[in-house]
Amino acid sequence: MEQMIYALVSEKIDHGKLAASLSGMQGIAGVNLYAVLFNQISAVVSDMSRASQIAGKSTAIEYAGVIETLSQQFTLLPMRFGSIMQSNEAIIHMLERNYHDIQQNLLKVERKYEFGLKVFCDSETLMAELREKSEASPLPSATPAPEIKNSESRNWVNKKLKEHRLEELLVSYIDSVIEDITGQLDRLKTISKIKKMVTPTTIIDGVFLLDKALKDELIHAVGDLQNKFPGLNFILTGPWPPYNFVDFIVK
Amino acid sequence: MSENKILFNTGSFDGLSEEIGNLTTNAEESRLKLTPDNADSGLAKLVLTLVELIRKLVEKQAMRRVDGGSLTDDEIERLGETLMKLEMKMEELKKHFNLTDRDLNINLGPLGDLM
Repeated sequence: MEQMIYALVSEKIDHGKLAASLSGMQGIAGVNLYAVLFNQISAVVSDMSRASQIAGKSTAIEYAGVIETLSQQFTLLPMRFGSIMQSNEAIIHMLERNYHDIQQNLLKVERKYEFGLKVFCDSETLMAELREKSEASPLPSATPAPEIKNSESRNWVNKKLKEHRLEELLVSYIDSVIEDITGQLDRLKTISKIKKMVTPTTIIDGVFLLDKALKDELIHAVGDLQNKFPGLNFILTGPWPPYNFVDFIVK
Repeated sequence: MSENKILFNTGSFDGLSEEIGNLTTNAEESRLKLTPDNADSGLAKLVLTLVELIRKLVEKQAMRRVDGGSLTDDEIERLGETLMKLEMKMEELKKHFNLTDRDLNINLGPLGDLM
């Protein structure tokens, strides 16, 4: 029988607490959960036959539910959905081989939660505003557009150049919003990972690792950002297990 | 995503669900799906995606140089003609293989979309 691993949990304080919590929980398809312990780290696992495993959306949600419940009580590292090992012995060997990396990562996320911040916009309105601004006050660094001649290729270059300048304006605007976001959140000593222009409407997609006790301050900070950029829509979600802050590859 | 996970949102929950739905749909639609049945069109999609990526990078770099003022009028003229022809050729190829711009913007998972 193989084992599916849900999370790696720090047990340096209370060895009995995890076992007690797991006794009242169920894994995918209602199977029992149990802990495989190595020193001060436990892997939360359930028995699983590969043949009966269905990698569907509902299974993934069940898997995430287990991690979510555990994260409310323990410092943990979520495992990737579908992490399966051959036996308890194999899991213990894996914990032993990766002990230092796991401990380092657990230390980083100790008493912290992940929060997500997405910034949406109506891209057409935003582009129109930027276009208007750029026409009213061209960038000082931008050289004048090349003289328009009556040639098809020159017209093509002029059209592309306008698009290029607008795109540069958009990137610079998004960078300024990101600077404001990080400026606000650095005060809360967050660790952040930010991607920009994920889609035309999702201009910023960020995740932050933050002390659990600072949740209200984070909400307040995002409220301030929303007031500063009324044309954008800030969405803050969480608290989540630290999915995006596990930085090691299982050896 | 359940409503109790949303800590701050000035828009509607429905609007947010729609945005999240779009993110998921974009990711699923733009995956490269190669199977034995569609090997030809799948390969065409893959090759054209790479060609389009390189073409766009070249175009971007060219516009930077034009904007920087380091090219002469003649150079801009020739560059424009070349890039315009490349764009037209690319349009022809997309039509031939029945592909759209969206098809060529493949999803790279955690890295986001290619273009």
